Amino acid sequence: MVIIFFRAIILLITLILVMRLMGKRQIGEMQPFEFIITLLIAELACVPMSDVSIPLIYGLVSVLAVFILHQLLTIFEQKFKPFRHLISGKPSIVINKDGVDLLELKRNNLGIDDLIESLRGTGNFSLDSVSYAIYEANGKLSVLESDNKSASQELPVLLVSEGKIDQKNINLCHLGSDFIDKIIKDEGIKSLKNIEVMTLEPNGRIYYKENGKKYKILNIDLPKESNPW
Amino acid sequence: MVRCLLTIIITSLIIISGAIYENYFIHSTFDEMHIMLDEVHQKLENEQATVSDIIAVQDFWITKKKHLHAYIPHTEIKEVDLWISECVTYTKYQKFDDAEAKIEVVRELCEQIPKSFLIKIENIF
Repeated sequence: MVIIFFRAIILLITLILVMRLMGKRQIGEMQPFEFIITLLIAELACVPMSDVSIPLIYGLVSVLAVFILHQLLTIFEQKFKPFRHLISGKPSIVINKDGVDLLELKRNNLGIDDLIESLRGTGNFSLDSVSYAIYEANGKLSVLESDNKSASQELPVLLVSEGKIDQKNINLCHLGSDFIDKIIKDEGIKSLKNIEVMTLEPNGRIYYKENGKKYKILNIDLPKESNPW
Repeated sequence: MVRCLLTIIITSLIIISGAIYENYFIHSTFDEMHIMLDEVHQKLENEQATVSDIIAVQDFWITKKKHLHAYIPHTEIKEVDLWISECVTYTKYQKFDDAEAKIEVVRELCEQIPKSFLIKIENIF
């Protein structure tokens, strides 16, 4: 009984740590701890239920161990705020007044693609259509929409992500790689690696952000051979 | 908060008292069983054992195993059942060497099973 109790506690703590290290991508609308409990309880109850060679008490003790740890963590979370952040995580501001915060995204094991996908889920298609975007502790994206709603009228495509050209999207738009080079040259950007993110809308509106700088919006005339997607 | 603490205390008490009882019951049962097996082993060595000696061990085991099922995986209990049953048959046909070997296995099981309930690193991991 005590052995089962210790084993359950060790596994539960390991799962919490792993889930926290995995970042916000792995969680869906639940706090990390709630998510783990949901995963575990079902399995703990299921195994002794279906396998008659295992005494029922093994399942009962494991469930009670999870319950005790849950209650303990609830008390600690209420009493010590840093502990709450450690266990449940804290919200991350991934878009601020300067644009996308790549460092904050990386901290949560997320990429620009994940951010754009989550933004689309909130009904915002353009990166500058929101003033602030916050990944909550449960992995859900909350946004504070900006006044500039013109940005979301067109569907943008991602051309550069974390200093790398998205060749698939360049081909989709029928643009050559010299298109990006020209923008880099015209804007006086040192190198492609300095661009954290660049998106293009069919009307020629470009959103880009350089390392450590505020994002910029460009309005350019697209080449005639480009494809209005 | 108070409710939280109360539930923790009550649940912990249930587990602790359950663990103490489990530990006591398993160890006392297997200790008793071990004494009986030692006696039978001695008789088998001297080729004086009878079927009723082994049946006495079997009966004791049958009465205790009903409760042991609550704590020990049923496969381990079944294993002891099988070894004792074999021992009964060998004794019946006076194959004392074979019966002794079977009793030796049961003795080993009766030593090992309670050890797996001790709080040790090897049992936890």
